[in-house]
Amino acid sequence: MNGMLINTGIVAREPDRTTLVRTVCVREWREALSNKLLVGMTLLPPLVILAAGIIAVGAAAVNPPSERDVQALYAAAPAVQGLDPKEAVQGFIATYFLILFMLIPTVVPLTMAIYSVIGEKSARTLEPLLAAPIGVGELLFAKSLASTVPSVIVTWLAYGIYLGSVKSLGSEAAVKAVTAPRWILAIVIMVPLLTLLSVNLGILISTRVNDVRVAQQIGGLVVVPVVGLGIAQVTGQVVINNESFINFSLLLVTADAAVFWLARLAFQRENILVRWR
Amino acid sequence: MQTVLRTDKLTKRFGTLTAVDRVDLDVHEGEVFGYLGPNGAGKTTTLRLLCALIAPTSGGAEVAGFRLGREDTKIRAAVGILTEQPGLYERQSAWDNLVFYGTLYGLTRPTAHAQAERFLRMMGLWDRRTESVVTFSRGMKQKMAIARAALHEPRILFLDEPTTGLDPDAAKTVREFIVALRGEGRTVFLCTHNLDEADRLCDRIAFFSHRVIRIDTPDHLRAELYGRATEFRLMPAPRAEDLARVRAVPGVREAHLENGSIIVEAPDPLRTNPLLVRALLDGGAEIAFVTERKPHLEDVYLRIVEARE
Repeated sequence: MNGMLINTGIVAREPDRTTLVRTVCVREWREALSNKLLVGMTLLPPLVILAAGIIAVGAAAVNPPSERDVQALYAAAPAVQGLDPKEAVQGFIATYFLILFMLIPTVVPLTMAIYSVIGEKSARTLEPLLAAPIGVGELLFAKSLASTVPSVIVTWLAYGIYLGSVKSLGSEAAVKAVTAPRWILAIVIMVPLLTLLSVNLGILISTRVNDVRVAQQIGGLVVVPVVGLGIAQVTGQVVINNESFINFSLLLVTADAAVFWLARLAFQRENILVRWR
Repeated sequence: MQTVLRTDKLTKRFGTLTAVDRVDLDVHEGEVFGYLGPNGAGKTTTLRLLCALIAPTSGGAEVAGFRLGREDTKIRAAVGILTEQPGLYERQSAWDNLVFYGTLYGLTRPTAHAQAERFLRMMGLWDRRTESVVTFSRGMKQKMAIARAALHEPRILFLDEPTTGLDPDAAKTVREFIVALRGEGRTVFLCTHNLDEADRLCDRIAFFSHRVIRIDTPDHLRAELYGRATEFRLMPAPRAEDLARVRAVPGVREAHLENGSIIVEAPDPLRTNPLLVRALLDGGAEIAFVTERKPHLEDVYLRIVEARE
């Protein structure tokens, strides 16, 4: 051993909440960035959705729709009747891809949250972490935040790129569709809410299973309501208006609170050490 | 001597299994306290209880001056724990691992940096501080884990099997570290089933299997169970009259021949041994050497456990 110990008179204490959250988040992000598989799995869905959206809007701008397509569109979305067919199709496609954008905050953070807990379980890093003078509620909050923030940023960034692309490639109707107040509201408010739901669901599932793939399969169910909403809108079963956005946001707030509460119940020091295997 | 850890009928049950059963301990400031028991005896559960990681079913404890169950966060700040597995973030560097934990223990950034440097240098890992821990050997990881446990200068350090699986060089480093901790007045609670290590390091030992069986110093345990034996090696080999002379010396409890030596058990060897030397020399024996004979702690342990069963 090199050198002897000296008593430095250091007194350890509980770190303040901001320091704890920042420290845990920074560590989680470093860990995530060092895991190429995780980075790939996180970035692939937004890239695919973004590329598909830009290509679809661009294609609609270049190729005029057939009469059959226009009639089908008028049947599905009576509100666009009277618009120039090309503009109407572009607006419809641009809006449809915005619904798909809502998949990003469900898919991206789920993977990160699952890795955040199952990764610690399999590496046996939870016990020393829980031995530190920190609250498990704060730790859970920090872990949630660590998965939520990048996902929200990625979604907003993707929306920004999509918006820029629609502006340069699409028609006025398409630009109007993607900058409609309810969509701005959806991106600003519903994206973080969906992300939180996905993250806490991921953490909750991770407390019960040890395999990342199993957790992802179970957690994948979170996309079902979003996809269902998209299908319902495309087939004209549901009209997405301001009222339905507000109702859906309120539903998400309730679901977020419930899932966080359940995750908090599962995330107990003794449970983690004794029952998690 | 100040008590730094005290338990009062500390009990932990998991369903029908009683892992820790009414344990009473008093651990003193600055001592290395050995907690010895077989696998599955409840040593790790005791450690988790004392580090406020799990709650007792009944009974209580005071750790570093704080009540278990009421001041758990303060207990966790005042103690350090080396868990069975190193549990390091392997994709991250040695430096990042230590600074992360320093911050979690409330150290300021400069202090966390200074402590990380100090312990990395102490453990001989300074030159590899920027490398991912995944590239480290098991011994290096264990040193890192010990550094992490001691980083915030805890009053009590709980070490769970600290040298298991280490090569002799790494194990020596760890043992030197424990001795250094004791030297500066810190308390070390050492969980182990390595009896030789416990014998070398511990001031007192508790034999434990779900309950505390015995607590004492290694020497007292030996003396109580085996007496204090001395080996007299004679050249040439001892004769029958040498043994008779030895047995006639006051204070000798028992004496016998063994591999060319006379083995003498006496309760007070400091008083008896000079008399024995004189008696042997007067009888014309040539003494090659005189050695205190210590039974292995393993023998002591087995005898105590067998007696209990």
